[in-house]
Amino acid sequence: MFQTVNRKIGFVLILFSIFFLVLCYQLPTFPFVIPVDADLVPKLLGFLLMFLSIVLFFSKDGDTEEQRKKRKIEKKELYVLLGVLFQLLVYILFFEFLGFLMMTTAFIISCSIFLGYKKWTTVIVTAVVFSVSIYLLFNYVLAVNLPSGILPF
Amino acid sequence: MGVFDGLLTGLQVAFSLQGILFVFIGVLLGTIIGMIPGLGPISAIAIMIPITYGMDPAIALLMMAGVYYGSMYGGSTSSILLNAPGVAGTVAASFDGYPMAQQGKAGKALAISAICSFIGGTVGVVLLMVFSPLLSKVAISFGPPEYFALMLLGLLAIASLSDGSVVKAFISATLGFIVVMIGIDAQTGTSRFTFGNINLLDGIDFLVIALGLFAIAEVAFLILFRKAGGLKDAKSIGTLKLTKDEAKEIAGPTTRQSFLGFFLGVLPGAGATISSFIAYITEKKLAKKPEDFGKGSLKGLAGPETANNAATTGAFVPLLSLGIPGSGTTAVMLGAFLVLGIQPGPLLVSEHPDVFWGVIASMYIGNIILLILNLPLIPYLARILLIPRPLLISLVLMFCFLGVYAVSFNIADLYLLLLFGILGYLMRIFAFPAAPFILAFILGGMMEQSLRQSLTISGGDLAIFYESPIALTIFIVSVLFLFVPVLKGIIKKGRNTTNLSA
Amino acid sequence: MKCTLMASICIAGFMLGACSSEAANSSSGEWEPAKTVELVAPSGAGGGWDTTARMVAKVIDEANLANKSFGVINKPGGGGAIGWADNYRRNDPHNIFVASPPLIFIHLNEQSKYGFKDFTPLANLIADYGAFAVRADAKWDNLQELFDDLKKDPTAATVIGTSTPGSMAHMQFVQFAMEAGVDVKNVRYITEQDGGAITSLLNGSVDVFSTSVSVAVDQARAGKIKILGVTSSDRLQGDFLSDIPTVKEQGYDAEFVNWRGVLGPPNMTDEQIHYYEKLFEKMLATEQFAEIQEQFGWNTMYLDSSEFTEFLEEQENDMDRLLKATGFKKE
Repeated sequence: MFQTVNRKIGFVLILFSIFFLVLCYQLPTFPFVIPVDADLVPKLLGFLLMFLSIVLFFSKDGDTEEQRKKRKIEKKELYVLLGVLFQLLVYILFFEFLGFLMMTTAFIISCSIFLGYKKWTTVIVTAVVFSVSIYLLFNYVLAVNLPSGILPF
Repeated sequence: MGVFDGLLTGLQVAFSLQGILFVFIGVLLGTIIGMIPGLGPISAIAIMIPITYGMDPAIALLMMAGVYYGSMYGGSTSSILLNAPGVAGTVAASFDGYPMAQQGKAGKALAISAICSFIGGTVGVVLLMVFSPLLSKVAISFGPPEYFALMLLGLLAIASLSDGSVVKAFISATLGFIVVMIGIDAQTGTSRFTFGNINLLDGIDFLVIALGLFAIAEVAFLILFRKAGGLKDAKSIGTLKLTKDEAKEIAGPTTRQSFLGFFLGVLPGAGATISSFIAYITEKKLAKKPEDFGKGSLKGLAGPETANNAATTGAFVPLLSLGIPGSGTTAVMLGAFLVLGIQPGPLLVSEHPDVFWGVIASMYIGNIILLILNLPLIPYLARILLIPRPLLISLVLMFCFLGVYAVSFNIADLYLLLLFGILGYLMRIFAFPAAPFILAFILGGMMEQSLRQSLTISGGDLAIFYESPIALTIFIVSVLFLFVPVLKGIIKKGRNTTNLSA
Repeated sequence: MKCTLMASICIAGFMLGACSSEAANSSSGEWEPAKTVELVAPSGAGGGWDTTARMVAKVIDEANLANKSFGVINKPGGGGAIGWADNYRRNDPHNIFVASPPLIFIHLNEQSKYGFKDFTPLANLIADYGAFAVRADAKWDNLQELFDDLKKDPTAATVIGTSTPGSMAHMQFVQFAMEAGVDVKNVRYITEQDGGAITSLLNGSVDVFSTSVSVAVDQARAGKIKILGVTSSDRLQGDFLSDIPTVKEQGYDAEFVNWRGVLGPPNMTDEQIHYYEKLFEKMLATEQFAEIQEQFGWNTMYLDSSEFTEFLEEQENDMDRLLKATGFKKE
């Protein structure tokens, strides 16, 4: 049943459209008189998505060699992607607590080294210059305050 | 006072030492904030209001106007170089601008962007000066049914934004439309699909979608192919100069879109984004080789780049001649006018000719300064692409995070950005185009609202749509848009077969 | 009784203060900010809250009214809900925010967990009032004619406003229409948040614009629209404004105030409250702020902390009753 990529994606999208439609039918009705309530357009979209997914499910795979190559990722490379994602999550988690300056500098250094960059001095200088100049521009020239975190300025 | 005397007064204001200085500061600031996603012209002008309080109104306003149109110049830089559109009006510029940069023609792409912006902006100012009083009637002629028709026309672009599977393009658009449903519905106050999370009440910000689907997804590929090197030798920035043929190629789109963009900009609520999309689809329809679009077509870059700048200038028509703000940015500008003790509107020309004509005259100078400022910068800006990949990747990621955070100051949006980045990556590997998604996201929300506004006004009667001559005209144009290519195809086929038989 | 209690708290505070090393704060039993005060606008740049916050901060800084500077911070999202939640969570007396009626509406509509009772009302500063405007050539010359038509046929006029149903612009209209006996559930109301409201009024798409005086007055002065009534209890001051009749004098006994004040986090001390009250009172008295008020059409409406709290309680009760009567909120 799921031999082709289109079938797999089509199936997932059909499930999503059902889930979405269930949510649509739970929307409350507006207490005043109104010809088109908040649920009409979402419901139409839900059915449209379901229809399109079914069409996709039964359509022939237009999968090109190029697409297949894009999907084929070595396990090692996948870990690299996940590694960057992990660093981004850490960045978000500590962003407001430790502040823009520290986190941004740290991220640029760690991510660049992680991806295989070897010139430590260049990366440290770039990271510091980038984050300090952005921080100064925002906080002092544009009066838009980025979080200072634990640093006093 | 006639137009000529008026302009003379205006030129005196704009050409004073102070005038030139502040126009320069304005457009410089505009270019900078345009380049950084997130810090749009709205914030910049709002921040300037208290600072300019007490300044000479004409000078203060020509500086703020400079920030506004300057940001459109700068905004396309990140679209072209990094696939990271920071302002909605420059999304369409990335469709062909980014492929050009990838092909080693970054310099040319940025040069076209600057030149087309200059032409669009300058033609816009001429139109603004000559037709402003006349056009003020056009500006208020659009009500909900007319906007609905316009949004529909814009959405039809989906069909022309797909070069692979049409089904996939429509699925992508439907998903974008579904995402814009999230948040409080304006017409009823019902919160839709928010799961009780306050971070979703206002819906998902445009930048989260644009930077997630375009920039973050692109970064994922940069990471995977980081060893491929890519644009290593300095030559790959390419030349800035356009050949004669290239100049000829963009002459058509630039001329057409200067006018079309301006007129769409005059309509409150339509503005730069819609005009840039409509520019993209009209140029694709008119092009002899529409299949080049999306792969680095000069026309596909020139059209939207001209239109968004012309539209930005057009937005000054309702603001100056009626005192009606047509967009978020002009609404803040209206506030700025009021603080400085100037009431924009029908009386502005006679009561404050120095302000009215000063702002207009300053736009000529501003556009020239922008061109002079931007062209020499291009080689330096384009050199961003020569930064070693690992470092570039880290910087682009930080750039996107900064952009999103500076809009909402909310950590939750950064998680959403990552989420949409992952979605964008998946869409790319399964060959779902991202452009229909963002187009439906931008236009869909406005389309739903104007549809329901219209039907509330008419009490549910659909006649409201065909009783309006403007709406009806736009519907007819939309239908033509859909069927002309089909007819063209049939005629072509017919000819081919006759040729063969002959 | 209350006095002695307060006195003893003060003395206790004084003694504690004397023991600690923070001499600056304890010498007079008064409180002063120890760092930059963040004046939060729980919205994006450019809106009403943002403008108020920026102007207040500017005047305080330039007239040197405080020992520390005031910085404006934008915390947009959820119509204010995100900014309020953040203020509650941080609970720092150096973090205060600008508010107006949506603080009450959004809480009552259950879109924000926090209402004004979760915060410390510091002072109300200014007020704007509601206005009902129609095209200059509309057939109605006063509210009575409009409401009479709507009573006969609730669909006789379409109303437009910038806030969603159940929030400010809608409720201010509903309040008076109900008072007039109009069947409000059938009145056509549309929301327009992208700045097209005046356009739709001028081109005839809609008939009535429910807004605030400061938004409507300029178009009215230019003769494009006419204001049928303002929602203040007395006529407003000013050469053009004083000619506009109030809703009250047209026989509808109600008023609607678009107040704008400052609130702080929960559990602020009396010293802290007192400091801010006095600061804002001084700020309102400056010539510079008076000038700004005139430019924007803001009326002074100073209320100290306890008056402000009382006022908010009243407002919340009124709006709660209104929302229940119209079916937006379940009993």
